[in-house]
Amino acid sequence: MSFDFHEPASIAEAVALAARFGTEARFLAGGTDLLVQIRRKRVAPRHVVSLHRVPGLDTIDANGEIRLGALVTHRALERAPAFQGALRALVEGARVVGGHQIRNVGTVGGNIVNASPAADVVPVLLVLDAAVTCVGPNGAREMKLDEFLLGPGETALRPDELLTSIRFPAPALRSATGFLKAGRRRAMEISVVCVAVWLSLDGDDRCAGVRISLGAVGPRALRSCDRPVESSPRTVSRSRTSAHRQPTGGFSWKHSFRARSGQR
Amino acid sequence: MSRIALALTINGQRHDVLTEAHRTLLDVLRADLGLTGTKENCLEGECGVCTVLLDGMAVDSCLLLAAQCQGREIVTIEGVSSRGGDDVLARAFIDCGAVQCGYCIPGMIISATAFLDEHPSPSEAEVREALAGNLCRCTGYQKIVDAVLAAGRTSGTETRGDAR
Amino acid sequence: MKTRVLGKSLPRFDAPGKVTGTLVYAADFSLPGMLVGKVFRSTEAHARLAHLDTTRANGLPGVRGIITAADVPDVRYGGAVKDETVLARDRVRYVGQPIAAVAATTLEAAEAALAAIVATYEPLTPVFDVETATAPDAPLLHPDWRTYTAMPILHREGNVCNRARIVAGDVERGFAEADRIFEHRFRTAMVHQGYTEPRAAVAQWDSAGTVTVWSNTQLPFEIQNTLAEILAIAPSKIRVVVPGIGGGFGGKLRVGVEHVAALLAKRAGRPVKVLTTAEEELTAAYPRQATIVELKTGVTRDGRITAKHGRIWFDTGAFAGSGPGVASVATLVLAGPYRIPNLDLEGHAVYTNKTNCGSFRAPSGPQSNFAVESQMDIIADALGLDPLDFRLKNIVREGDEGPTGQVLNAVGLEECLVKAADAIGWNDRRPGRWRGKGLACGRWTTTGGSSGVYVKINTDGTIALNTGAAEIGTAALTGAAQVLAEELSVDLEDINVVSADTFSTPFDFGAQGSRTAFAVGNACRAAAVDLTRQLYALAAPHLGVEPEACALRDKHVVADGKSLSLAELARLSQATGGGLIAHGTFIAPPTPYDTKRVESHAYPAFHSPSFHAHAAEVSVDPETGEITVENYVVAQDVGFAMNPTYIEGQIEGGVAQGLGQALSEEIVYDGGRVRNPNLTDYKMPTTLDVPRVQTILVQHPSLVGPYGAKGVGEPPNIEPPATVANAIAAATGVRITSLPITAEKVALALRDVTARSAES
Repeated sequence: MSFDFHEPASIAEAVALAARFGTEARFLAGGTDLLVQIRRKRVAPRHVVSLHRVPGLDTIDANGEIRLGALVTHRALERAPAFQGALRALVEGARVVGGHQIRNVGTVGGNIVNASPAADVVPVLLVLDAAVTCVGPNGAREMKLDEFLLGPGETALRPDELLTSIRFPAPALRSATGFLKAGRRRAMEISVVCVAVWLSLDGDDRCAGVRISLGAVGPRALRSCDRPVESSPRTVSRSRTSAHRQPTGGFSWKHSFRARSGQR
Repeated sequence: MSRIALALTINGQRHDVLTEAHRTLLDVLRADLGLTGTKENCLEGECGVCTVLLDGMAVDSCLLLAAQCQGREIVTIEGVSSRGGDDVLARAFIDCGAVQCGYCIPGMIISATAFLDEHPSPSEAEVREALAGNLCRCTGYQKIVDAVLAAGRTSGTETRGDAR
Repeated sequence: MKTRVLGKSLPRFDAPGKVTGTLVYAADFSLPGMLVGKVFRSTEAHARLAHLDTTRANGLPGVRGIITAADVPDVRYGGAVKDETVLARDRVRYVGQPIAAVAATTLEAAEAALAAIVATYEPLTPVFDVETATAPDAPLLHPDWRTYTAMPILHREGNVCNRARIVAGDVERGFAEADRIFEHRFRTAMVHQGYTEPRAAVAQWDSAGTVTVWSNTQLPFEIQNTLAEILAIAPSKIRVVVPGIGGGFGGKLRVGVEHVAALLAKRAGRPVKVLTTAEEELTAAYPRQATIVELKTGVTRDGRITAKHGRIWFDTGAFAGSGPGVASVATLVLAGPYRIPNLDLEGHAVYTNKTNCGSFRAPSGPQSNFAVESQMDIIADALGLDPLDFRLKNIVREGDEGPTGQVLNAVGLEECLVKAADAIGWNDRRPGRWRGKGLACGRWTTTGGSSGVYVKINTDGTIALNTGAAEIGTAALTGAAQVLAEELSVDLEDINVVSADTFSTPFDFGAQGSRTAFAVGNACRAAAVDLTRQLYALAAPHLGVEPEACALRDKHVVADGKSLSLAELARLSQATGGGLIAHGTFIAPPTPYDTKRVESHAYPAFHSPSFHAHAAEVSVDPETGEITVENYVVAQDVGFAMNPTYIEGQIEGGVAQGLGQALSEEIVYDGGRVRNPNLTDYKMPTTLDVPRVQTILVQHPSLVGPYGAKGVGEPPNIEPPATVANAIAAATGVRITSLPITAEKVALALRDVTARSAES
C-alpha cells in the first residue's frame, strides 16, 4: 500500500480533493476499516483524505432533533448522556463493535459509508428513521438512511461526496429503543444477526408504533417492520421491559430471536 | 510516493520522523523508533497486542496512520511507568502470576491503564468487558483479570484516587 | 517437606522484562541492514507447477534476492517421513505452499516483487478429505511415496503416511462377552495454536560461512539439525538463538520461517527477517489435524467395558509432518484411562491437499478424548448408570496396565474424578431446565528426551543456570530454577538463566511434550549434586573438617559451627582452579511396554503419566442453542506442584484454549481454500467467553520427576471438548458429535428432536 496523504481543514476543501482525485481517493475517518481493506488489498487508494482536521464533524447535538457529526466515535455514542434513556439502543449497538480500541477510533459515519450488512449501529439508526447529509461540489443533499444503503459496501454516496452528518427526530415522550446481537463469541464479533427495535406508546399505554430492523441477514440492514400495531396495555408493558433490558456481555440470542418472531 | 515529516509526542518526548504516508503508528514505533514493547500480530485490530494510549484512550496502533497522530499524546508500554506511580499495574501482573509468554501483556497493561483511569475500582465484569479487545492465548485471562482488579484496589485507595 | 523456594508461588524470573516491554521477542529482533523476506505461495491446491517466472520481480526496485527451488539444495526433509521441500519444485500440494521467496529493502518492495512473480499451473485432481484420500484409486499426493526416506517402523500405503495400531487381548471375544455394543462416529475440526507472536526468524551469515538464526522456535537444536539438512552444511556452522517467544503450543516445533530467512540471507548477502502474517498462519502453518473417529465399545449390563475397537483418521495435509507420530499417540488416548482387556486401536495419518498439520498442545489428545469421553456418557445413559459411577467402575488404578502393557504407578485418577465431581456439585447434575453438568477424564504423557545444564557459581554467590531449553511462557524454566535454588539453598533471585543457544548452551530435547520443568529440573538436581560435592571438597580444609561433615545452609557451606559463603567459595575456586561449574544431565528412563501389542507405533507408552478430570456446568438457550459455560473445575494430578500459581496458569490457559476448540474455533476449508484466514473469522475466546476455572491440584508423586513432579502443560487442553459436550447433553438431551459445538448445531439438533416428537 502506498498513497498520498491529505489533511483538508474544511468540508469544502475535503470535497474538492475528492472531486479532483475521484475514485483514486478515499476519505479517512477513524481508519479502522479502511486500513484493513487496504491491507487485504480490497481497495488501493492513491490518495487518502483524512478528515481529522475538519472542524465540527465530531459533535453530538441533542438539543431537540439529534444530529451526529460523521466523525462521532462509537466511544462517544456509548458515553453520550443524551443516549442513556430512550435512545439507549445507540449505546447498545455501539458498545458491541470490536474492542475498546476500535470503538475509541471508529466513527459512525465510517460505519455507515462502509455499508457492511452487519454494521451494528446501522439497524438502530434505521429504526430511528435517520437521514444522512452528503456534501458534494454542488452543495449538500439529504436522504433517508434507508435509501442511502444499497448493498454490501454499496451506498448512494457519489465519489466526490462526503457524508457529513446523520440526524433523526428527538425521541417521543413515551418511546424506547433496544438492540441485541448474536454471534459465536461474546465480544469482537461480527454479528450473525442483530436487531434494533423502536417502540412508542400512546396515552393509554397502547403501542402506538414499532419499527424493527435486522442486521446481517441480508445484503444490507433491513427495515423488517414499520407500522402502527394494535395491542393491549399488558403486552406493551412486557415489550418495554424487553426494550430496556441491558444485555450483559453485549447480547443474547434468545432475545434477538424473540424480537424477530414477535413472541412474548 | 512522497515522505512526510511528522512531529510525534511519544511518552512525553517529541520525535521527528520522516516517513511514508501509509505507514502506521505501529510501524513507526517499532521500526523507526525501536519501541518494540508495542507488539505486532494480526494487523487488523483483532488481537490488541499493539495497543497504545492516544490522548489517554486505548487504540490499536496497527490501524492508525502515523500521520493521524500529529499533535496528539501517545503513550506506549515504555512510557507507562514514566506516568508516575503507575507500575502498580505491572507489579500486580507479576504478583498475580498473570504473565506467561508475555506477548499480549504490554497491550493488556495499556488497555487496563486507560480503563482504570476511568474506573478506579471496577467490578470483574467491567474488567472483562474492558479487556475484550486483547486476546491472550496462554492464561485463560483469569489471573490477568485478577491483576487488574488488584491494581484497581491498590491504586484506587492509594495514589490514583487523588492523582486523577 | 519444608522447602526454601520449591513448591512456592514465586514470581517468574522473566516477568519484569515482559511487563515493561523490554524483553525482546524474535518478532522484535532486528539487525542493521536487515532485509524483509516474504514468501510467494501457491494459489492452487493440487497442480503441476509448469512454469515460474521471476525475471520481472528481480528487476524491481528494492529487491535484493529471489530464490526458487532451482536455487536451493535439492533436499527432501521432514520428521517421520522426508517428504517436504523448502520450495515447491514441480508440483504444489496445497494453497499456500511456498514456491519462491523474496528479500527486499522494505515490506512494500517485497510485496511488489511477490505480485510480479508469475506461476503457471496445470491442475491435478485435488483430494480434500480423508474419506476420498483413502478410497481405492484415490489420486496420490505423493506418487513417489515409496522412494521417500522414512522411519522404518511406519506402515505407509499411498495417501496413508502411517497406520499405527495397538492390539491387546482379543476384541472379538471381548465383544462376545459384552451385553451391549455401542458404535459411534465423531468429527473434529482443524484448529490453530493461536500463539500471539507470529513465527519469526532473523538470519545472518558471517564470513566464515556460519549462519546465526534468531528464531522463536520451541526446539533450537531440532532447527539446527533441520537447517543443516536443508542448507547442506555442518550443524556446527549453524547457530540458533531463541530470544523471547510469544507462545508456541506446539506450533513452533518445526522449521517454518528459519530456512527461508537463512536461504534469503545467503542469496542477498545481508541479514533477512521473515515474519508471518495472520493469513499465512491460518493457511500455511502447522495446525491441529481435523479428525474422524469411529468407536465400537462392548460393555456388560453392570457397566464393565469388555472390548474397544477404535479408529481415528488424521487429516494431516500435504505432508506427513507430525501425522505419523500423532496417529500413534492417539491410539493410547483412544483406550481411555480405563481397564479394558481387549483392544484394537488404529491411528491413520492421511495426506490431503491442505496445509501440513503439526503438533498442538497434547497432539491427538482433544480429538481422541472428545470421542472416548462422549461415548462414555452415551453408554452410561443407555445403561442407566451415573457417568461418574460408570467411570469409577472402569478407571485404571495403581499397578494396572496401560493399553500397551506398561505398569502404571502414582495413579491419582480416582482422586481427580471424585474431587472434580464434588466441586461441580455432581449430586445435582441437572440443576435446572436447560442446565446441565458434564465431566471427562484422561491421562497424558511426560515426554522423554534428554536435558543438560551447565551451572556455575558466580563470585557474588549468585548462580548461572545455562540450559538449552527455551522459555516459551509456561514458566518451566522458573520451575527448574526453583529446583536448583532449593538444592543449593539460595533464593530464586540468585539464579540467572541463560537459555537456548545452540553454540553455548548444552543440548536439550526442547520445550515440548510437557517435559521442560520435569527434565531440566532433574538436570538441575544432578548439577547441584555435583556442585555440592565440589563445594564441600573446597570448603572442608578451610573449615577444618572432612567433606562429609559439611552441609549447605542458607547460601553457606557450614560445618562444626563455622561457615563459608558461596561467594567466598566461588572466589576461592578461581584462585585454586577453574571456578565452580557443573554439567548436570537427565534422560527419562525408558518405560517398559509389551512390544507385541504395537504395530507401526512411534509412541508406545506414556512416560510418568499424569491423570486429570474436568467438570463443567453449562446452560443452553433452547431456542437459539447458545451455550454458556457457567462453571468449570479441573482436578489434575501434577505429582508435585513446583510453583502452584504457574501450574494454575497452565490449567486456566489450557481450558480456555480447549473451550475455543470445543465451541468456537475452526479453520474452514472450501475447495482447498481457507475461508477464514484472519482473526476476525477465526474465533479465539475473549475475556467474555472464558469462565473462571477452579483448579484442584492433586499430588501423587511420580517416581522419576523432580520431587515427584509430572508433566503439566499439555493435559488441561485435552478434556474441555468432551466435558462441555457431556454437559450440553445433560442440559438438553441432545448429543453433538462434531467439533466445534456451535449454537447452530445445538439449535438444529433441538429442532430435530422437536420435529420427531411432533411426528410420533
